[in-house]
Amino acid sequence: MILQIGLVFMQLIMLLAFSPFIVGVIRKVKARLQCRRGASLLQPYADLAKLFGKQPVVSSTTSWIFPAAPYIVFASTVTAGLLMPVFISHTPLNFAGNIIALVYVLAMGTFFLILAGLDAGSAFGGMGSSREAIVATLAEPAMILSILAIALTAGSTNLSTIVHRSALLEGVVLAPPAHLMALAAMFIVTLAETGRVPVDNPATHLELTMIHEAMLLEYSGRYLALVEWAAGIKLLVFLTLLVNVFAPWGIATHATPSALAAGVTVYVVKVTGLAVIIGVIESMFAKLRLFRVPELLGSAFILALLALVFFYTLRG
Amino acid sequence: MSESTQLGSQLVDLCSVLLLLSCFAIVAQRRLSACVDLFALQSFFLATTAALVAFLTGHRHIYLAAALTVVIKVIVLPRILRKVIERLNVSRELVMNINVPAGLLICGGLVVVAFFITQPIIPLGYLLTRDSLAIALAIILIGLFTMIARKKAVTQMVGFLVMENGVFLGATAAAYGMPLIVELGVFFDVLVAGLIAGIYTHRLQDAFDSVDTSELTVLKE
Repeated sequence: MILQIGLVFMQLIMLLAFSPFIVGVIRKVKARLQCRRGASLLQPYADLAKLFGKQPVVSSTTSWIFPAAPYIVFASTVTAGLLMPVFISHTPLNFAGNIIALVYVLAMGTFFLILAGLDAGSAFGGMGSSREAIVATLAEPAMILSILAIALTAGSTNLSTIVHRSALLEGVVLAPPAHLMALAAMFIVTLAETGRVPVDNPATHLELTMIHEAMLLEYSGRYLALVEWAAGIKLLVFLTLLVNVFAPWGIATHATPSALAAGVTVYVVKVTGLAVIIGVIESMFAKLRLFRVPELLGSAFILALLALVFFYTLRG
Repeated sequence: MSESTQLGSQLVDLCSVLLLLSCFAIVAQRRLSACVDLFALQSFFLATTAALVAFLTGHRHIYLAAALTVVIKVIVLPRILRKVIERLNVSRELVMNINVPAGLLICGGLVVVAFFITQPIIPLGYLLTRDSLAIALAIILIGLFTMIARKKAVTQMVGFLVMENGVFLGATAAAYGMPLIVELGVFFDVLVAGLIAGIYTHRLQDAFDSVDTSELTVLKE
């Protein structure tokens, strides 16, 4: 029991402490590719600390949703993080829900962020919210379908079981085409859901192109810190899903100190590698026009659909 | 099925899936030159699949077919198409009969249809390439769809060539390829068809100042 609680806290601390680092890694890679030296990898921590120390300014036209939303967004993202295996194939909140719950707990955070964007009544907030709603609605079917394809290959919708089985290669139906397509679909969804470059530009404050930033425009002080931190954790949650569902090798399958140490090391290396890849992609591609985003997410949906079809037909 | 043939069969599946994916990329692509590049890439995957089948089965004539695929479909035909595109005054296809997101969804449906149709046949097969039959049918249907959905002569031609790739994959999947003499004839046909379509596109460009085939339905004095 104590071991269980210890693991929950370890995973919680891992998520909270590691997410700003990942944001820093992506920024550093982008800066390097632009021949800049870039801010230190620890800069996101300093930003968060600074924001937590500042007094928030809240518009007098807002309702209770505006100050409540950052807490809801943060809590839902962290809950989602605890619903999945991170460095050990055991999931802390295994009793609470499976992979489908994870998707919709994250969606709840998105929903409240959209409401908060509308709440202050600024034109940019409303615009950002409507765009975020488009992206979220289009990304969701692709994500659910690719997750279903993975759940079918492992024979369970329980993330812990999926990761455990594919890490040990037991009872898993090997269908490489289905896996690859689900991976591609999930990667596109990751870029869209976390507001990365082909869909949204996390570094911009240019009015016409903002999606995620537009919703946060009215936030300041600790509210902004919470939302930014939640965005970092959401990115980490998606990267972890990609890494652990599609390449879970090296994850700790039982709670011995040596396995845990190996699991944490492998996890950090894999996620950092994936963050570097995302940084490179952000430097290579331009942001899509908003009306082309449905095409990108449409192709993610088709890929996920094909993954499902191939699972049934190519089993051999 | 032994371990090595299982692995071989999965490799063939993987290659044919890449073929299918490049089909989707062609459907989603608006730039004409990128469509041609994707067609060349698809033909390269086709040649790889054929070479893989030849290696796994020991049928020598499939190697020859693979080599011909590389020469004609990866090198010569894309070069002809690029020459055609250089002369055009458009580089992208902006107006289509069916827009891209709807087209992608329809193609997804076509794949499901193709798999559904071939479902009863596939278990009867005994070749290690039998799963590719469904993918080949899907590629043929998507090629046909590309010809219907697009308006520019160049992309319609790419659609036709994609269909031909599907037929080739189907022949390899169902019967380890056609007899060599038929194969040679088909390649010659495709080459000539490509040349004729190229010349026809030039003439279209000269006559209408556009390669939009929908202009052909309008009477002209």
